[in-house]
Amino acid sequence: MEELDGEPIVTLIPGVNSKKKQMCFDWGPGEMLVCETAFNKKGKSETVPSCPFIHIVRKDVDVYSHILRKLFNESHGIFVGLQRIEEELTGKSRKAQLVRVSKNYRSVIRACMEEMHQAAIAAKDPASSRQFSSQVSILSAMELIWNLCEILFIEVAPAGPLLLLLLDWVRLHVCEVDSVLADVLGSENPSKHENFWNLVTILVLQGRLDEARQMLSKEADASPTSAGMCRILGDLMRTMPVLSPGNTQTLTELELKWQHWHEECERHLQDGTFVSSPHLESLCKIMLGDEAALLEQKELLSNWYHFLVTRLLYSHPTVKPIDLHFYAQSSLDLFLGGESNPEPLDNILMAAFEFDIHQVIKECSIALSNWWFVAHLTDLLDHCKLLQSHNLYFGSNMREFLLLEYASGLFSHHSLWQLGVDYFDYCPELGRVSLELHIERIPLSTEQKALKVLRICEQRQMTEQVRSICKILAMKAVRNNRLGSALSWSIRAKDAAFATLVSDRFLRDYCERGCFSDLDLIDNLGPAMMLSDRLTFLGKYREFHRLYGDKRFVDAASLLLSLMTSQIAPRSFWMTLLTDALPLLEQKQVIFSAEQTYELLRCLEDLASRRPVHGEPDAQQLQDDDIETTKVEMLRLSLARNLARAIIKEGSLEGS
Amino acid sequence: MVSVINTVDTSHEDMIHDAQMDYYGTRLATCSSDRSVKIFDVRNGGQILIADLRGHEGPVWQVAWAHPMYGNILASCSYDRKVIIWKEENGTWEKTHEHTGHDSSVNSVCWAPHDYGLILACGSSDGAISLLTYTGEGQWDVKKINNAHTIGCNAVSWAPAVVPGSLIDQPSGQKPNYIKKFASGGCDNLIKLWKEEEDGQWKEEQKLEAHSDWVRDVAWAPSIGLPTSTIASCSQDGRVFVWTCDDASSNTWSPKLLHKFNDVVWHVSWSITANILAVSESQQNEQ
Repeated sequence: MEELDGEPIVTLIPGVNSKKKQMCFDWGPGEMLVCETAFNKKGKSETVPSCPFIHIVRKDVDVYSHILRKLFNESHGIFVGLQRIEEELTGKSRKAQLVRVSKNYRSVIRACMEEMHQAAIAAKDPASSRQFSSQVSILSAMELIWNLCEILFIEVAPAGPLLLLLLDWVRLHVCEVDSVLADVLGSENPSKHENFWNLVTILVLQGRLDEARQMLSKEADASPTSAGMCRILGDLMRTMPVLSPGNTQTLTELELKWQHWHEECERHLQDGTFVSSPHLESLCKIMLGDEAALLEQKELLSNWYHFLVTRLLYSHPTVKPIDLHFYAQSSLDLFLGGESNPEPLDNILMAAFEFDIHQVIKECSIALSNWWFVAHLTDLLDHCKLLQSHNLYFGSNMREFLLLEYASGLFSHHSLWQLGVDYFDYCPELGRVSLELHIERIPLSTEQKALKVLRICEQRQMTEQVRSICKILAMKAVRNNRLGSALSWSIRAKDAAFATLVSDRFLRDYCERGCFSDLDLIDNLGPAMMLSDRLTFLGKYREFHRLYGDKRFVDAASLLLSLMTSQIAPRSFWMTLLTDALPLLEQKQVIFSAEQTYELLRCLEDLASRRPVHGEPDAQQLQDDDIETTKVEMLRLSLARNLARAIIKEGSLEGS
Repeated sequence: MVSVINTVDTSHEDMIHDAQMDYYGTRLATCSSDRSVKIFDVRNGGQILIADLRGHEGPVWQVAWAHPMYGNILASCSYDRKVIIWKEENGTWEKTHEHTGHDSSVNSVCWAPHDYGLILACGSSDGAISLLTYTGEGQWDVKKINNAHTIGCNAVSWAPAVVPGSLIDQPSGQKPNYIKKFASGGCDNLIKLWKEEEDGQWKEEQKLEAHSDWVRDVAWAPSIGLPTSTIASCSQDGRVFVWTCDDASSNTWSPKLLHKFNDVVWHVSWSITANILAVSESQQNEQ
């Protein structure tokens, strides 16, 4: 078993003083119950007042968030789509497709962020507003990490394009720039705006040199004294060599050109071209990648990875992926300057720069409150064939482990569980058994839900679960006296024993009330009738009634007889059957043949001779016995009469 | 990261000894030293008292929900040497059966897997384990294993139902022959595994020895389809062991010490997919 590499977080249950009292607990299907108790079992109760509270504790509360639900739903669609196109992903287009999937995930995160942000603004009370805002920052961090992973692991950008992508990444995440830009440009005198120089600086820091030049031209227009300097700096900005997409120059060519340009900037600085404008001089230093100058702009940079990318832009634009982590580590150290410690997010990004995928996933799992992020990211990286089989205690791999955890969390939600089913489907080792264990626990509050659950089980040939669920529903129906429903559930469960039980109830009801309930069901049993003998009898008995109703007496008669002779009819029902024969015996034409009548007589005698003796008969029993005797006598009479008529009929020429 | 999503005020007047969610997580049963068993509806974060069941004459130690296919049935066991089975009929909860076959406190009750039928195992301080089987029409058949553990039995836990290999779908609905097993832990520091023989009698199949003090709880892990069986046990000696048996090859159980705590460990419990074992120690709760 792996060692614990960090102390698990201790969660304090509010209201329970865990130092003084003990806690007992148990697992529910999706949650845990915790309550105070004392384990020392003494016979008498303690005098110390005890706590009557039980706390229900759950891991995956995020499933209940209204806005995150959209995230779960949409990412589910992307996930399933990815699994399905796996076979089609080949060759060159594979990478492009995977990048597209990654971008889809990210756009879903951003959409969710936007909605959450709106909710934060619209929130009525400060507490929920704060909650929404913190969710927004968590989502933003997730998108930041995902984006970086996309660049480094999925896109696998080589030196050159790598920097461009990192620049995009930073620009996407430090986004106040655009609003300031609009602000300044929209003002009367842009260059006199209080944020003007900050704006120009941040534009340079983000490598947005064209826009920076535009700003400088405004300054040139406004103050002629610095026009010359602005023009020179602007030129430098214009001529900085960058790798543009589709550019055919090689990396070496670019490096060479860049070196020349860098030297030109250096020369201007040495010559003191910008000495009369501290702003412009500082900008020039930035463009030379001067660390001190960059660090002066800490506030504008706002974080170390921005610092890193700017640093790379202006000192090592052709940085190779494997060298990234050197610069990353030093950037982090320089930026924090020993004043503060790295936060979890910083560690995650650093792990990414070190190309340590497992570390990224591990740190994210610890830092985030639910498995959504790591499950989907790991799955995508797995499709990129980046995860070595990292065997965990259960013998399943990391991708599967995370997907199982995520899907299990979904099952505690009354409708999101349906998404969970698909995730389990794509876990080859333990997905099926996990689904079996979870799906039985879904509360079947409505018939619709039960049918949905059953359909899912039947599609996957989970016969045990189908049987168990049908049985639960059948029993519930019996208790509520809905026999038809109970019967159809037991047929669906292929549960013969239960079908027999329900059929018995039907027959008993018939004896008591003289009619059947749920005729439709019994009439249309079809091959399901074969499930149990009792059920077959029920079906056939109903058929007998139908035949009788259609006046097909001869057919009805033979059916009735065969029910008794084939032993399908339970003995207890024979009297009823024989009594049913009476009207047929009393018809004007002869229905039962002599042979058949003999059979009936035989059955009657059989029945009569086997009547149990009850010991001391009481008044009720005597009365019952009386009724029985009368019935038997009537039947004997009818049968005898019928026999006589049948013999005559069969004996005479026109009869048969 | 976990959060408290609901706090149920049970209004028990004394220490609560056990709380169990039903199969679907919609109802909560609790039992206490105040001799009552209470049932709450906890759907959607609510807490509605459905029943306050009185019938025990001493602290009630444990409650256990039966599988929903048998209806809403709850078993409770108590210091008063009784095991009571409660059932919900037509919306009200009533006592449906009382078992008084023990000479001493009954410490633990556990329902067997639903595939075996409705069977309840009860472990008592008189050292015996009794098995109640519902045979229909309100009748319960009792089998008693005397002297299962000297001094007393503290916990019982059933093995998950394993469908025997060569099971062909039998249309006439014959019940497949399950091999019923359960584990018990006692004051003799032992964990014993019991198996039902063909004649219906229960025989001690194995003794698992590793603890040096009273075994307080045993929990057989749910089956996740692998050919191994797993049992967790915890004891007064502060140790938690996880025992595994490779069903395919042998019948030997190998213990693995999960952790040694500083004080008594009272309770172990597996999550439903057997991937997390929760352990309750005297000082604090750990996962």
